[in-house]
Amino acid sequence: MTRKIKKKMSRAEKNEAMWGLIFVAPTMIGLIVLNFYPILYTIYQSFCKTGDFGRGNTFIGLTNYQSVLTSSEFWGSLLNTLKYAIIEVPFGIGIGLVLAVLLNRKIAFRGGYRTIFFLPMVAAPAAVAMVWKFLYNQQFGLLNNLFGLDVAWISDPSTAWISIGIIGVWSIVGYNMILFLSGLQEIPHDYYEAAEIDGASGIRQFFSITVPLLSPTTFFILQTRIIGALQIFDLIYMVMDNTNQALSSVQSVVYIFYKYTFTNGDRGYGATIVVCMLVIIMALTFLLQKSEKKWVFYG
Amino acid sequence: MKRIKQCLALLLAVVMAFALTACGSAGGSDGDAADPDAELDTSAELEVWVWDSDQQDGIQEICDLFTEETGIAVKVNVVTWDNYWTLLEAGASGGDMADVFWMHVQEAEKYMSGGILLDLTPYIEADEDIDMSNYYEGAVETFTYEGAYYGIPKDHDINVILYNKAIFDEYGFDYPDETWTWDTFYEVASGITEASGGSVYGAAMNTTNDQDGWWNIVYAMGGSVISEDGTASTLDSDATKAAMEFVGKLVDDAFAPQSLVSENGTSGLFTNDLVAMICQGNYTLAGFTDYDGSENYATAVLPYYDANGNGQCDDGERVTIYNSLAWSASASTAHPNEAAALVLWLSSYEMQVKQAELGVTLAGYVGADSAYADVISAKGIDASAVQVMNDTATLISYPHSRYTTTWQNYYREKLVDAWLDTSLMSSVLDDCAASMNETLATE
Repeated sequence: MTRKIKKKMSRAEKNEAMWGLIFVAPTMIGLIVLNFYPILYTIYQSFCKTGDFGRGNTFIGLTNYQSVLTSSEFWGSLLNTLKYAIIEVPFGIGIGLVLAVLLNRKIAFRGGYRTIFFLPMVAAPAAVAMVWKFLYNQQFGLLNNLFGLDVAWISDPSTAWISIGIIGVWSIVGYNMILFLSGLQEIPHDYYEAAEIDGASGIRQFFSITVPLLSPTTFFILQTRIIGALQIFDLIYMVMDNTNQALSSVQSVVYIFYKYTFTNGDRGYGATIVVCMLVIIMALTFLLQKSEKKWVFYG
Repeated sequence: MKRIKQCLALLLAVVMAFALTACGSAGGSDGDAADPDAELDTSAELEVWVWDSDQQDGIQEICDLFTEETGIAVKVNVVTWDNYWTLLEAGASGGDMADVFWMHVQEAEKYMSGGILLDLTPYIEADEDIDMSNYYEGAVETFTYEGAYYGIPKDHDINVILYNKAIFDEYGFDYPDETWTWDTFYEVASGITEASGGSVYGAAMNTTNDQDGWWNIVYAMGGSVISEDGTASTLDSDATKAAMEFVGKLVDDAFAPQSLVSENGTSGLFTNDLVAMICQGNYTLAGFTDYDGSENYATAVLPYYDANGNGQCDDGERVTIYNSLAWSASASTAHPNEAAALVLWLSSYEMQVKQAELGVTLAGYVGADSAYADVISAKGIDASAVQVMNDTATLISYPHSRYTTTWQNYYREKLVDAWLDTSLMSSVLDDCAASMNETLATE
């Protein structure tokens, strides 16, 4: 700050400042009560053995952290979550991009196609999960009956995580596509015309013009989807019964958070799990932000 | 600028302090004090929470009779089981919950020791019609804490075998009856699975079917889940292990595979004619009339375990584990006297009889439910086995401790390993017992 701070505000300035505060107050209060306070309280709980009904918390220091970080269940679920993200994020982005490029052209029923691909985003995740659960059903499911298969899509530990990942990709492709479409329409048409005159093929144009000029959109999607994928819960909760033999190879970090916090009522342990997750997500976001300069091209 | 920042900081601090106090001021009723002799406030309105929509109409009808008698309005609301405990606990923590509600054995001790429930003892003592010895003893004990009653048993349940006659006819086996031992059950169930070449299964049971499943076998064979004083797991006891090895034999030779069971549920397999027999609580029977082919469904008593080997069912050999829900009231309700009056009304002999006559459930009051089985049978599935079980079987109350849910969820997930590879049964039980003892040590 090179400007000199004035010693005293004038009456008008004070008045203005007051009104400014009053106008931001609703948002501030909302954020504090609904976001900041719960975050701080969760961090506080992670250091406690929590009592029933929010009473009688006793401070136990790092004991919860010790038991979370030494539990194979936590690390297993973290691995499962990463496995899910490795399916959902790249395939969701890749397919979304291809669809966006195809549907950016003038083809018949373009609006109809766009609507169809976006529809999963509008449907409630729980409803999506229920429908897929029926599709995947080994005995009565459409997939097995249509293709004459006998595959335990969601009950075989070696395939269940892929099956869940497919639902994730299917649900998110339309949303990524819409974002890519808006990104595509920002790219000036001149570049393509110039490339065409220079004799560049469609594929060359895609990789030399579309991909780099789309990179800010790609970066945004990548960042939000990584965070979203790491928080996967509802799909797994709805599709996998808790006696499913593949559960331990699919359950995510948020899934075990839910189990400990709400089913077993051990809030301190649950809070510790989400605080660990928070740290991991923060670290990943930090790394992503660092990498931004290297590959994101703001034209 | 500095001043603005100060103001902002102050504002933040004030809001935060407000948020803290708002969340901290739970509990403390602002209504009347609890007094069993006080005149009832007829302008009071009571809210009742239940989780079973099938029972809502019947219970509302009984509550309407209470309104007729006392003038106190009662509204029965259904909160589904999946949300019930989350919402009830949120209400209890925030000091704003239903006046009267159902309490479950899995949660009871936590609520009783947490001071959330109204102590009903003075009301019970002041009411000459209510005598706690008339209710199922194990259930009364479940809802008693440090000598005080916090709930009155509203019902109890009975497990029976639900079977599909068509499958028995197709493969030429006799229907289950009261002569069956658990060994007969094994022979027939594995026989059906074998005869069908694996396209139909003799029976199905998930690891979660404990009270309505393998607990009944374990207790019949002399095993148990928790020690009598509730301080140690007995899942690793010799008797329990022997019984579970028998269950393992069923898993191997008779039951539908775990992947089918976990994806479809035992009742889903049964109603699709893939399974010949499942163990069911009486409260589910009426729901099975909705399915195609339900005219083939019938019930039989649970098999017995011939402990003394004399070839007949003696006392204590036919076991069913029963669960009782209780009517409880909130300690922070604005109308404790009226809420307690409603609990006593719902628990009275006349209303317990009424509850059975309406086909809501079996009674918590011993001997008040002779009408129940016929009402259910009239809906389409012969439920006479429920009455036979009720009259002749040994009823054992639901084993529990303070954090039942925690150890129960653990073994329900862990036993899947033993269901998949029954040779692991003994080591899985050791593991479950160790985890359960850890939980019990924190109680």
